[in-house]
Amino acid sequence: MRFLPIVIAILAVGLAIRLRRRRGIRGAPSVLGPLLGPLVARLSRGKHPFGDTGLVAGREIRERLRGRTFRVITLILFAAVAAAVVIPAVRGGTTHARRVGVVAGSPALTAELEAVARGVGVSVELRDQPDLAQARSALHAGHLDLVVGAETILVKDPISDTDTSAGARYVRALSVAFGAQRAYREAGLTPAQAATIAAARPLPVQSLNPGRNARTTSESTALIGVILIFIVLTQYLTWTLMGVMEEKASRVIEVLLAAVRPIQLLGGKLMGIGAVALAQAVALVAFALVLAEVVGSSIVHGATPWVVVSILVWLVLGYAFYSWVYAAAGSLAERQDQVQSMALPLSAPLIFGYIVSLIGASSGHPSLLVKVLAYLPPTAPFAMTTLVGFGAAAWWQFVLSVLLTVGCTVLIAMLAAQVYRRAVLRTGGRVQLRELLGARTN
Amino acid sequence: MGGLLELEGLSRTFGPVTALDKLSFEVPSGHVMGFLGPNGAGKTTTMRAIFGLMDLDAGTVRWNGEPVGAAERRRFGYMPEERGLYPSMLVAQQIEYLGRLHGMDAEAAGSATRHWLERLGVADRAASKVEALSHGNQQRVQLAAALVHDPELLVLDEPLAGLDPTGIDVIGQVLVERASSGCCVLFSSHQLDQVEDLCESVAIIDHGRLVASGTVDELATSGPRRLAVRVEGDRQGAWARSVPGVTLSELDGGEVRLVLDDAIDSDAVLDAARAAGRVTKFVFERRRLSEVFREAVNR
Repeated sequence: MRFLPIVIAILAVGLAIRLRRRRGIRGAPSVLGPLLGPLVARLSRGKHPFGDTGLVAGREIRERLRGRTFRVITLILFAAVAAAVVIPAVRGGTTHARRVGVVAGSPALTAELEAVARGVGVSVELRDQPDLAQARSALHAGHLDLVVGAETILVKDPISDTDTSAGARYVRALSVAFGAQRAYREAGLTPAQAATIAAARPLPVQSLNPGRNARTTSESTALIGVILIFIVLTQYLTWTLMGVMEEKASRVIEVLLAAVRPIQLLGGKLMGIGAVALAQAVALVAFALVLAEVVGSSIVHGATPWVVVSILVWLVLGYAFYSWVYAAAGSLAERQDQVQSMALPLSAPLIFGYIVSLIGASSGHPSLLVKVLAYLPPTAPFAMTTLVGFGAAAWWQFVLSVLLTVGCTVLIAMLAAQVYRRAVLRTGGRVQLRELLGARTN
Repeated sequence: MGGLLELEGLSRTFGPVTALDKLSFEVPSGHVMGFLGPNGAGKTTTMRAIFGLMDLDAGTVRWNGEPVGAAERRRFGYMPEERGLYPSMLVAQQIEYLGRLHGMDAEAAGSATRHWLERLGVADRAASKVEALSHGNQQRVQLAAALVHDPELLVLDEPLAGLDPTGIDVIGQVLVERASSGCCVLFSSHQLDQVEDLCESVAIIDHGRLVASGTVDELATSGPRRLAVRVEGDRQGAWARSVPGVTLSELDGGEVRLVLDDAIDSDAVLDAARAAGRVTKFVFERRRLSEVFREAVNR
């Protein structure tokens, strides 16, 4: 189970790389297209509250929803979220009672087995067995998960030290409890004395911060949030990059800019793609929460709403920051190979922030580096999400990071809009950034 | 509808290259104006400047006496030289979208889209992606995109390039109709025969400067007088070579084409022809636009 986040992270990076290769794939209208297309079309009629920018955004939304790429990616993401929520729940045994064969049982043994099960947090189904031989047969045939008798705890396969499933934890707890009872007997304690000691429970430790269990849930949610932010940003920033380049390459940009101003066109494009990204992310989070409730998963269920809100806030801020950069880069190119040569340096800070935050989240202790990256706009979406999940960020630290990111986004947007305006009408090869400094529009 | 486009002193250089050199002319409404010039003369640069797609070093573009801004450009229609449409967007949706960007409401844009696709003969491709259309049909869709919002000024860069005769006829009729309804139409082309048929006036530029302009009639009848003469028994026009002030410019199947100096009386030429034999043809000719063009650009 502890490898699950790493596996998901690897899958996420793989998906991101594949998305880059799948650029521009559009085929027959998607299943969602006929359903959502007319709805969006109706919404786009009449006067737009955002004017021409709204019109441009509406077109982006319609075209993205209509594309096969969107349909395929959405299905993959929903499947990944379902796997991330359901698999740990199933492996944790929260919905499956452990079948325990009891040889030469007694009320005291039954009480002990049930008490240990409650302590570990698993449900057990006790089945009396006539003798050890038949119990072994039932265990071997898979009718039992565990056999318990006098001085005996028997499982089918050895239990690894790294196995943290509910079943493994239950067996270990039984082993400790039975071993202690044997020691009491050998020490000559009376059954009453042994029972008193066996009934001993640890003294609860109080702490100033929230309990470990609640924080663990939030950590898991934050981990999933970091992965979600990375996948969504990678997908939609690639669309932004390619979308701007394609408008330039197809020369439709000249027709568009004859009617609307560059900032309206660029703003509408970013707003439209961003709306689709946010809607998809919200749908994924909602799906994860509902699914977790249904299967009784603890990986998302029980997380503080604050963590979920933080994930969505940083998704929006991350997109807002990077989308301008990617749009400006797209305006410099007019061929796919030119775009690909720019994609890696553009995504380097994004991947760096993601990996560092993921490692920090997986290790259980956010490093100093994560705490520093939480205030740098390119990496804050991942690092601050991690800190919030671990309860390692005060409200003012969160607000400070948000303000820094918003401020830098405004500056980046101004610069990117200038680059876009000057570069998008230039044709005849990739435009070098230095050519635009101090130059006329075109 | 109706208006006047004024280009005044447009100048623009690209490094050592002068694209526009104090270019000035006017495009009145009500007729089709051809915008001619050799490759690299500055036609596309001028058109892009009209739409603010090109920064000028100097000069002003005016519409009805006022500098052209974003509000005016929304009432203009533009068909760029390098066609520009979203390849994977459906034809009708694309035209409607562009209409709305020019300020139309959804209903009007939809109605106009259907009208223009029908008028230009591509209504059956309304639900196709642009990239699935032939070159000629893409050209028609591109023209529909320029026309959908009923523009007051229509600027078309090489709208006839690559079209078959049917396509040229359709687009030509549309341009004449738009001009008749008061639209100001400016289009560039290298197909001078078509320009001569469609346009009432032309502006010819070279090296970014205006080198000739006026109505087609004015330009055709300007310059030295031209005569086409046929004399029985003299297929080489030997009689004409001895007439002072007459230059033999062309021999064509027994017919000679002559250029007359201003001073010479055409009766003297007729007399010389009669002296050589029976005259079966004696006609003053208009200059073809191609001749005007070559003369204007010295090529």
